[in-house]
Amino acid sequence: MQFLSEGVTHAFRLLIVGDAEVISAAWNSVWISISAVLLATAVSVPMAIVLYETKSWVSSSLVVLFRAALNLPTVFIGLVCYAVFSRQGPLGSAELLYSPFGVVTGEFMLAVPIVVSLTFGTLQGLDTRILETMRTLHIGSRLRWITYISEARLGMMVAVLTAFSRCITELGIAMMVGGNIKFHTRTLTTATALETSRGEFARGIAMCLILLLIGGCITVLLAWMQRTQESIRE
Amino acid sequence: MIDVTDLKVVRQSRTICQLDTLQIGSQDRIGIVGSNGSGKTTLLKVLAGLETDYHGHMNGSPEVRNHTTYVHQSPFLFRGTVLQNVVFGLRMKKFGRRERSQMALAWLNALGIAHLAERSTQNLSGGERRRTAMARALAVQPKLLLLDEPLADLDPGGIDAVVRVIHEFPHAVVIASPVTLPAELSCRIVTLERQKPHFADAKP
Repeated sequence: MQFLSEGVTHAFRLLIVGDAEVISAAWNSVWISISAVLLATAVSVPMAIVLYETKSWVSSSLVVLFRAALNLPTVFIGLVCYAVFSRQGPLGSAELLYSPFGVVTGEFMLAVPIVVSLTFGTLQGLDTRILETMRTLHIGSRLRWITYISEARLGMMVAVLTAFSRCITELGIAMMVGGNIKFHTRTLTTATALETSRGEFARGIAMCLILLLIGGCITVLLAWMQRTQESIRE
Repeated sequence: MIDVTDLKVVRQSRTICQLDTLQIGSQDRIGIVGSNGSGKTTLLKVLAGLETDYHGHMNGSPEVRNHTTYVHQSPFLFRGTVLQNVVFGLRMKKFGRRERSQMALAWLNALGIAHLAERSTQNLSGGERRRTAMARALAVQPKLLLLDEPLADLDPGGIDAVVRVIHEFPHAVVIASPVTLPAELSCRIVTLERQKPHFADAKP
């Protein structure tokens, strides 16, 4: 047990002095995940609105597909990205393999089904009178979309934060597509796996502490948003 | 303006609305009166184009269909202030920001709730919500205005204001109500019953 307590103490020391490897991995994790989720949100929210407004078997089938994609293992997405980005793959010339942008692409694929499914669920839960009121006031699509986003903003924020928390904690894509290259594609999760396998528990624990801190912040943020929403309703 | 014939709406093998014929002229005042469950709301939703799964025929020009507005029995108000809600429908019209606000305020004033213009919709009573929704619908100047129980929840002053506004409205208005409508509205009454409707023209 002594190695664990020493590890935790050393981890705090690394965090306080701002160890370059830890800071680099943390920064990579944050910017890669934020980029992937922002891109996914820009694509997924309009997609969810279109699926909500289009009542057809095609849209229903797509929703089922997106829901099924929630269960995709990250190593499977990593494998697909690896195959596509490798030299022999269709996007080999883009040189995305072992680059942070390759990881962004992989995490984008991970985030899209989450944001689409959760946003669609939120829209389905909206009061039916919203759509009816807008239809009888003959509101155009732009204003209609803005209204959906305004009325369903809490659910959409939950979708975005859920996607972010999934992206920042995933290992498969970052490891397979990024390659865990120091100061380049190394993230908190790949660094934790590496440092632990090397017996460098302190670094591993320091990385995990940052991940836990980010996870904690997201939980607090979600709880605060939910409380704000409830107080507005009251 | 709109002709409805042999209308029948069936849900789960049950007829929830049935009507032999209904003609709506461009300046008509029609009261749809019937007990709970007689299909008043369903009929208004068919006229509004919100309910499309029905048997029978409904003829009306696209011009009227694109200028038909429906106010729910329990209206929905968007986030924001009363004024923002009334302006909402006007955002699709080619008016300037100031003009839109002035028009919205004029309708709020006509319905006696101009003092609520800056109040959040979260802090309104049932009657205030109803009048806000009505102002929002009137502001877009529909050719056909469909009101579902517009006098419910209103105090006597509110009823007077709404009746006066409906009376002076220059286009067609169809009002659904479970009780007899005030004589000042001089409505042609269509009575809906659970099984089969019959008509009684109350217009003098």
